[in-house]
Amino acid sequence: MARERRPETRDQRPALWRAPDVRHVLAIAKRELRSYFVSPIAYAALTTFSLLSGFFFSNMLTSYVRQASLADGQIERLGRSPLQLDVPTIVLAEFFKNEGFILLLVLPLLTMGLLTDERRKGTLELLLTSPIRPIELTLGKFTGAMALVTAMFSLTLPFYYFLAQGGDWEPGIVLAGYVGLLLLAAAEVSIGLFISSLSENMLVSALGTYGVLVAFYFVDTSASVTRSIWVDFIQFLSFYFHNAEFARGVMALRDVTFFAGLIAMGLFLTQRSIEAIRFKRS
Amino acid sequence: MITVQHLTKRFGAHVAVDDLSFEVGAGEVLGFLGPNGAGKTTTMRMVTGYLPPSRGSVSIDGRDLLRHPIEAKRRLGYLPETPPLYPELTIRQFLNFVADIKDVPKSRRRPAVDRAIDRASLREVADKRISTLSKGFKQRVGLAQAIVHEPAVLILDEPTSSLDPKQRVEVRDLIAALKGEHTVVLSTHILPEVSQVTDRVVIINRGRVMAIDSPDNLSQRLRGKEEVIVEVGGATAAEVREALTSVPGVDRVQAEDLAPGVIAARVGSALGTDVRGDVARALSARWQLLALRTESLSLEEIFLKLTGDDGQGAETRDQRPETGAVEGA
Repeated sequence: MARERRPETRDQRPALWRAPDVRHVLAIAKRELRSYFVSPIAYAALTTFSLLSGFFFSNMLTSYVRQASLADGQIERLGRSPLQLDVPTIVLAEFFKNEGFILLLVLPLLTMGLLTDERRKGTLELLLTSPIRPIELTLGKFTGAMALVTAMFSLTLPFYYFLAQGGDWEPGIVLAGYVGLLLLAAAEVSIGLFISSLSENMLVSALGTYGVLVAFYFVDTSASVTRSIWVDFIQFLSFYFHNAEFARGVMALRDVTFFAGLIAMGLFLTQRSIEAIRFKRS
Repeated sequence: MITVQHLTKRFGAHVAVDDLSFEVGAGEVLGFLGPNGAGKTTTMRMVTGYLPPSRGSVSIDGRDLLRHPIEAKRRLGYLPETPPLYPELTIRQFLNFVADIKDVPKSRRRPAVDRAIDRASLREVADKRISTLSKGFKQRVGLAQAIVHEPAVLILDEPTSSLDPKQRVEVRDLIAALKGEHTVVLSTHILPEVSQVTDRVVIINRGRVMAIDSPDNLSQRLRGKEEVIVEVGGATAAEVREALTSVPGVDRVQAEDLAPGVIAARVGSALGTDVRGDVARALSARWQLLALRTESLSLEEIFLKLTGDDGQGAETRDQRPETGAVEGA
């Protein structure tokens, strides 16, 4: 079969080095955020996220406080503690790891519609016949979804008040924890955004995103105990592994680079995919 | 204002649009007429830059759509077949969004949105959610969306096809009102619409242009000759035939009984001659002349003539290269 000749689309090819128009990006982000909030989606996401977060947080807090008080009792009887429990640090580490998992449950449902819905409703035709470039559309969608994620995280801020009641807590760990969570979320959003550009069916987008994200999240569980370069590599791919580093309060360049790389890749693929949609048979 | 040259779109081996060329001048309204599946939507999508053509070029107000898509798209308003709407937004929120992505300057956004709302008669419902609107209103929001940035060129794909007759008239009036301010290309398969609002018609079938001309010229050209229809009371067909044949300039007469005592006749003459006066005098001198009218071919008939036999021919022509390609592979 004769291959279709594609005429050059010169304005759009070198789009990468022309700075995106911030106004376009913000217009698309604002529209996305508004659509989240006028529909029940945003409220369902915010409620579910904060309820699950609160549930795990209070569980962990009470369980470690109980262990700590048991340890205190042993200090009285034995004169020494069998284990040193720094409750706030342990609770924070566990909490941020848990948040990563809850995010895994909620995010694909938030990203599935990003471009899938535009394709389904035909509004992509409006966007692509407007003087905006695919990269602006991509960044706008990404920003809109990240704004909702940030709102979700902000609902967990009151927890530190309760944590402060139980002893000293390290603001540094909290900061690292949130930086990690935001990076994790951004990587997941950019992957979800790309997958949502591939289909006109919401369920397909959601399932595809779950598939990829769950695989990335738990890939290190397949790494065996023996250490080899492959084990290290598989571990390096794991979302859980990198997020756990932040949860411990460590902000390492390696982990930041890992997520930043994924974000850049997801956004780049999305931008290419949007251009490719136009070449498909409609 | 719009120049389309050798526009071609292939989907695999299927040729949806085949070597289409046409021009639209400033302020003109061009109608795109064709049966379903003729390639109208594909053409609209290529002219708006949504679908990249396999071959050919489109330029909008002097800007090549492929080389300078952003510049060209800024001058373009487009209403696809299904209006692109965000049902969860209000009309005003939606139009603000469209104004932003269409590069309407922030300072001019409010008047631009107000103007679009007024043009589309949406004032009373401007703060209603789009999901609560009727189909006719949604179509008007679609139109408001297309004109909010005051584009030089307006592309409307089947703007009235899914509406009821009343809504259809409303939307048609709206389009007629936009005439002059914008260069308009609209596609339709509803024939009366074309003769009502367009200056020129492109008849397209199976991706090929069958004819481009004004609705009047088209009917003129296809008619080939003048024809007068008369109805006469109190005569026989033979008498009428005889009387008409003797009128100078008449070269063909066809007469038959229409009702008891009423004869209907078709009187043919060469193109450009007007025999109505002579015919009337010849008939009313002896009988009662009940009716006399000229007949011009309706668009409907032109359309059938052009898309009928020619269409079949186009199909066999299309299939030949396809078999060739398979053999070659």
